[in-house]
Amino acid sequence: MAKTIMIVDDSSTMLMSLRNSLEIAGFKVLSANDGQPALDQLLAGAKPDLIITDINMPNMGGIEFIAKARAVSGMRFTPILVLTTESQQAKRDDAKKLGATGWLVKPVSGADLTRIIKQVLPGA
Amino acid sequence: MNKLHTKLWSRGRALFGWSTTEPSRAVPPPPAGLQDLLETHLQLDRAIDQKLVEVVDDTEHSALSIIKQVRGLYDSAYLLVQYLENSSPQANSLGSDIVNSVSYLVEIGAFIQELPAKMTRDLHSVQSVVKEITELSALVGSVHAISMQSHLLAINAAIEGSRAGPGGAAFRVVADEMRLLASNSSTVASQISEGLRRARSVVEGGMSTRISESTKALEDVSQAVASIQKLQENFEDMSQYFKTRFAVITQHNQNLSRDIAEVLGHIQYQDVVRQCIERLRAAIVQRNAALQTAADPMQTLDAAQLQAALTQILLDFVAQEEMHKHSARHDDQASGEPKFELF
Repeated sequence: MAKTIMIVDDSSTMLMSLRNSLEIAGFKVLSANDGQPALDQLLAGAKPDLIITDINMPNMGGIEFIAKARAVSGMRFTPILVLTTESQQAKRDDAKKLGATGWLVKPVSGADLTRIIKQVLPGA
Repeated sequence: MNKLHTKLWSRGRALFGWSTTEPSRAVPPPPAGLQDLLETHLQLDRAIDQKLVEVVDDTEHSALSIIKQVRGLYDSAYLLVQYLENSSPQANSLGSDIVNSVSYLVEIGAFIQELPAKMTRDLHSVQSVVKEITELSALVGSVHAISMQSHLLAINAAIEGSRAGPGGAAFRVVADEMRLLASNSSTVASQISEGLRRARSVVEGGMSTRISESTKALEDVSQAVASIQKLQENFEDMSQYFKTRFAVITQHNQNLSRDIAEVLGHIQYQDVVRQCIERLRAAIVQRNAALQTAADPMQTLDAAQLQAALTQILLDFVAQEEMHKHSARHDDQASGEPKFELF
């Protein structure tokens, strides 16, 4: 059965690029253009197998979203990857403390993304 | 007014490298000169900013169109391969049926090709039968001769019986019976001879007709078998050709999928560039705010403070950009941090 991946990014280009890369790789995709609507989906019962989120978003940033997502029932151990243009170690440490599973720097090719997802989601 | 003039000129020197020689106060520049200049500068920045926003919108629109079209390409290629994959089992099944049918035909052809030898053997057997019949016919001649001699012997016996008078009556009866037997033997021998002649005629005539017909049929069958074998070879060639084509198309599709994945990755640079432009715009807004503050006569910001403010903006900008070293011009470790890290 295809795994479901939620992507959270305020860029339409990123959402479309990731959605198509992931769909071509055989995944189901949920998407949100900000942390808050992504959190709303989780609270409404969405159960993605993996979440990929941006950091800098206008209303609710990725760091805050990760912290709140971890508090949602059933999301404690769901892998969450950060996908951002930033590469600073301090930011990585913040994300790690709040429960992020990994850090990706934009842009990421479809092949790399699939390889990384297979690492995070064995059997995907 | 003079104090304001001096203050503006001082800021102009600091900002734009104006001459250290203060212009004659006899013809002072309009007090609002620096502000007019600043306003023109801000208008230019606003125009540039508006254009940058348009550029970001345009590139985003283009990126989305490219993604849509690339996805369309992938979907078309995917449908093609699905179609080929669905067709492949049917083609294989059809191929198996053809191969099996052709194998049967080839077996039948091989059997038919063996027929001439078999028929020759049969012919030899039949010829042996004919020979036997012929020999039997010769025996019939002997029977005829024996019958004739028996008949003559019976006549002689009858004559001798008559000469013997009444004592030869019994001898005459035997002679009559013997003559009748000879006559019957001759009749039977004639019937056997006629039967053997008809049998030989039928066998020889049938063989002759059958061999003639079979020779023509065998030639047709041989041609048919040769055609079938040719068809089989052509089918195998065509089957191999399509298998090769299918493998090539599948490989092309895999390459296409890989390239599309790469394209989708490269398109993400639109977002990278958008964020870079947004950071530039933010730095420009900060810079212009500092310049506006410096040009405001109601503010107390002097040239040194302005320079410090601008320097801070520069440092913040450079520091922020250091955090975003990841474009195609940089390798994975350009910023000292890996592009991918699992915690």
